[in-house]
Amino acid sequence: MLYLRLAALILVRTTVRHWREKIGSYLLLLAIVAVGVGAFNGIRQASRSASANFGLFNQAISGQSDFLIESPTKTLSADVLYSLGPLSGDPDWHLVPVIEGSITSLDGDGEPQQQLRLVGLDLMGLANLPNLSEAKFDFGEDELTWYDWLGSENSVWIGRKTAEKLGFDEGEAIKFIASGRMREMVVRKIIGVESSSFPDDLVIADLPTAQLLLSRPNELSRIEVIIDRPELRENVDYLETIKSRIARYLPENLAVQPTQNRAADRAAITAAFRLNLTILSLIAILVGAYLILQALDAAVVRRRSEVATLISLGVSRGVLFLTFLLESAVIGSIGSVIGIGVGWLFAYLSAQMLADTVNALYFATTIEAISLTWMDCVFGLCLGFSFTLLAGWLPARDAMQTPPAQVLSRGDWSPGFSWLRNRWIGTVLLVLGSLLLLLPPFPLEAGGKMAVGGFLAAGCWILGAALLSGHLLVGLAGLLRSFSSSPTSRLACSRLHDGSSRHRLAVAGLVVAVGMVTGMFQMVDSFRGTIEQWFNVRFQAELYISERGVTGAGTINGIDPSVMSELVQDETIAYADIVYVSYANPPEGITVLSGVDMEAWSTTIRQLWLKPPGSLEPVEGSEPALISETFARRFGLLEGGSIELETTTGKKSVSPIGIYSDYGNEFGTAAVDISTWKEWTQSERPINVSLYLNEGSDINGVRDRLRLSYPGLDVRNAAELRGVALDIFEQTFKATSALNGIGLVVAFAGLLLGLLAIFDESSRTWLTLRHLGFSKNQFLLSAGLEGAGIGLGAWISGSLVGLALGWLLIFVINVQSFGWTLRWQVPMADFLTFGSLLVIAGFLSGLLAATYWSHKNK
Amino acid sequence: MNVSILILLSCPLLAFAEWIETPAQSSKGHLVPAPDYAPNFPRDHGSHPEYGIEWWYWVGHLQSADEQKTFGFQFTVFRIAGDAEKAENQFDGFFGNQNLFLVHSALSDLESGEYLHLERVYREGWQARASSQTLNLSVGGIQAHLLSGEEGQRVVARYKEANRLELSFRPTKPLVPFGDRGLSRKGADPAAVSWYWSYTRLQAEGILIRDGVEIPVKGTAWMDHEISSSQLGGGLEGWDWTCMQLDDGTEIKAYRLRTGAGESDPWSAVYWIDGEGGTERVYADGFSWEAEDSWTSPNTGLEYPTSVKVTAEHPVRGKQIFRLRPLLDGQEFTGNRSDNAYWEGACEVLNERGDRIGKAYLELAGYGGGLGARLN
Repeated sequence: MLYLRLAALILVRTTVRHWREKIGSYLLLLAIVAVGVGAFNGIRQASRSASANFGLFNQAISGQSDFLIESPTKTLSADVLYSLGPLSGDPDWHLVPVIEGSITSLDGDGEPQQQLRLVGLDLMGLANLPNLSEAKFDFGEDELTWYDWLGSENSVWIGRKTAEKLGFDEGEAIKFIASGRMREMVVRKIIGVESSSFPDDLVIADLPTAQLLLSRPNELSRIEVIIDRPELRENVDYLETIKSRIARYLPENLAVQPTQNRAADRAAITAAFRLNLTILSLIAILVGAYLILQALDAAVVRRRSEVATLISLGVSRGVLFLTFLLESAVIGSIGSVIGIGVGWLFAYLSAQMLADTVNALYFATTIEAISLTWMDCVFGLCLGFSFTLLAGWLPARDAMQTPPAQVLSRGDWSPGFSWLRNRWIGTVLLVLGSLLLLLPPFPLEAGGKMAVGGFLAAGCWILGAALLSGHLLVGLAGLLRSFSSSPTSRLACSRLHDGSSRHRLAVAGLVVAVGMVTGMFQMVDSFRGTIEQWFNVRFQAELYISERGVTGAGTINGIDPSVMSELVQDETIAYADIVYVSYANPPEGITVLSGVDMEAWSTTIRQLWLKPPGSLEPVEGSEPALISETFARRFGLLEGGSIELETTTGKKSVSPIGIYSDYGNEFGTAAVDISTWKEWTQSERPINVSLYLNEGSDINGVRDRLRLSYPGLDVRNAAELRGVALDIFEQTFKATSALNGIGLVVAFAGLLLGLLAIFDESSRTWLTLRHLGFSKNQFLLSAGLEGAGIGLGAWISGSLVGLALGWLLIFVINVQSFGWTLRWQVPMADFLTFGSLLVIAGFLSGLLAATYWSHKNK
Repeated sequence: MNVSILILLSCPLLAFAEWIETPAQSSKGHLVPAPDYAPNFPRDHGSHPEYGIEWWYWVGHLQSADEQKTFGFQFTVFRIAGDAEKAENQFDGFFGNQNLFLVHSALSDLESGEYLHLERVYREGWQARASSQTLNLSVGGIQAHLLSGEEGQRVVARYKEANRLELSFRPTKPLVPFGDRGLSRKGADPAAVSWYWSYTRLQAEGILIRDGVEIPVKGTAWMDHEISSSQLGGGLEGWDWTCMQLDDGTEIKAYRLRTGAGESDPWSAVYWIDGEGGTERVYADGFSWEAEDSWTSPNTGLEYPTSVKVTAEHPVRGKQIFRLRPLLDGQEFTGNRSDNAYWEGACEVLNERGDRIGKAYLELAGYGGGLGARLN
């Protein structure tokens, strides 16, 4: 305790003075911690806001659903309602059948305006719900005559925000596209809901109306269960009793589960995506930690004589160690508090971007208000605090070891960090990373996998490369010096060749950022290249048709079967490749079951085949299937075999006869013949169709004609489809790019800070050189070259580790997380451009730092 | 509130001697019950979807087999037809758009003083079905059908907390039709008529599952089934209604419709049902209904005149006095919304001297105010 009080006293009496003198550096340091914590917290909040909203109607309207009754395929035949027996009228709960699908509102010109979620529910049944009136769900005048809703076939109810956004008033007609057909409904009521949980994109209609609009007669999405006594929601025993009473009478293919599990399911589906973002967001704070280490080390060096004096006066080394740790803690705490605010700002700016990505990749969602929870604050503070403390540990130990006599007599003593000069630590880390690759992937809840070994290896390699980068810098500087003739360049090279701790730390911080950025370069480029190649092979048809306005991968709404059968009668069509899609449940998680023309897919339809049709022998008694690479890897079917999938009509076994590359989803797809798919899913609704036209047909002419005939469908030629797909692809990497950018900004801020410290430390050298006739311009140039040298060193080391990371991302992390292999592409031009920018930025940082030093030391 | 409309629509109605010609259809396009109709059972125990309003109603008193416990119960299923013009979607069997069903079920535990009650509303479909061929109702927590091989009915009603009452009813008297030429009059409007049939004395037997314990019970019950297509006029505040089952084997049905001025509407009446099912009646000018005591609900704050003195002039036996005393005060049915509350409960019947002469069920509706406005 006494130690702590003494340390605090020294901190107040001496350290604060140093902070005042170096106010700019310390502010920058605080900014670095704040940005690091902010990036982590921002991503956490933004992904929660972007993927939390999954629109259980009841959550929006009358509070909370307690249980969900669902089938494995997430669709139910309404027939099941009659098989619920005594469950249907039990007074202890309310069963709320729901159908959910996507529609697209149209503007005045008939152009798609916004994708909306249509939720159909039994409006009569709402009157029974215990919380309806308490949820401030205001039906206005309608509330007194709710029984008039009976037979309200052409009415929809929309939320106030949606109405304002789309410019609708009560009683007005709203035009939209559903299931490939243009529809028109009347806005019966704009629902005034004070609760912020009412999703922006929700449109409510009576259940049979919604079934009709979505062309899904006799179909439900789920049955929500709401207990009659909401006051018992927290009573676990009561809920368990209710659940078991429901489960007792449920038909075999239905399951009841607490609603929270659905949230967990959704969270699990996006787990890999969110995890990748979180890991990326840690880069900023990792780089930040390097910089804090560097800055605190510089502070120790500057205060060495003061430390020596304190030791001579009898202050114990332990107190000094504590003082420097306390300084780190203060910086970490203040930076983290600011970081929490910065995180909120980041989340606010990036939530829509993440929501778009989740929409494109996983399921329909809208953003909820960004919420800052206590846990966010605690996480942010702990993260910032622990990283800063960790970074402050070494300089504090360094300060503790100061020999007072030596420092006071010679005026200097700077041992630097011996571990930075030690090649072995870096080398061991590189080897350890390679060994960690042998770790198997960790299974996630929804059936996804987390490439633990890959991520740990990436961490080890980055740290190892950062540690070794100092050696590369020294060697590089030695090499360049031998080619240098001018005093300025020789001076710069010599200083770099000396390889001080600060130079090594500066380059190491940059290497972390450069390595990650170049690694991501390769992954994005490889992904794009692979997808383009996939497109070239896979998409050979002339026209592609899907439901209009629906672009998300998770939306499997489909086209009205009658529209489809009418469309394929067009005389210009030589062949129509119709695809059907539904969800199915493997033993764990969820996957996609597709219905295709097996004969055509096995012969004429081109695919990127990993194993062409016929190369695998189907297991007897199983349905032959063409499976995607993701599916094969996920269920261990690369060499054949079989797997049972739970469908609407029960468990069905599929066995691969071929494996194709597919980058459409990360859950895997098994394609069976259309007739089998229809039998298993009891559905007739196709998802899209590729049209092969008769030879000599005017492709765009046919496209325009079909667009006019079927305004509810998106008709695109191959080039247009490619454009849309690449847009989705770019969308998915937006968040990644933003995080890369943040990492780089932090790294450059660190470089500037590092160079400031380096020049500050070299004051005597510069002053001597000035006396010897070194001009200011020569000094500035030399400083710039020193900065450029660090940039170059960081680029070379960073690119080397970046190449390794690129390989790791493509061949380990992507394969294990998503189950697909990409063609590795190294974007040389991007590498070179990035390197040049890095050298220029280094040069400018050196120039800037030297100008500042020069101004200060006139 | 809305339920009150239906309750009012379905309350026991008047039948004046003066004859009127009924129209074929109501203003909403539903069929109007025709005079001289000869009911065809069991078909007419079932639903009549061509008519606008219909309800099935059971009340009674039960005693446990060990005679330690006594209960009162009420089950009511209402059907109201929607606007036939509005509905376009084809009824797919799951979510109908033509008929709305309501269920009210209540259980009075006269020993413990507990009163369980439940209101639910459903559209015709998977949760609410009524056969038009026979008595076969499945509406939320109530299932009712005819007994097989014998005259009578079986009703199962579920209450909250997994409580359940399963009863078989066997009539000891023939079905009683009310009104002239088979039509019960509701008001001056010629379309305001109904077919109104009652089993005024049923033997009830079955089990009550109460807090997980199965209790064999038996007792007596009353059942109404009414079919009509039109609504009552305005100016009404509510109504008081009772069915009495006297120990001498006769029954009495009495009701008064309360006007805004606090008087009885002329359509108010008292019916006597003799041992063979024959009926006598007097109208508003032949009886009086006086409140002797009241109970104020702690839930809604409404005051109900639950102790009643009915003084009526029997056409043959002359003046008779019946006093109704509630067997439990707290038998207020609040439903899902408290502004829709009414009192309906088990009572005993006393004579002028205060001797107990039978059992009754008493219904007191419209004491929350505003009911008349909603009817107009």
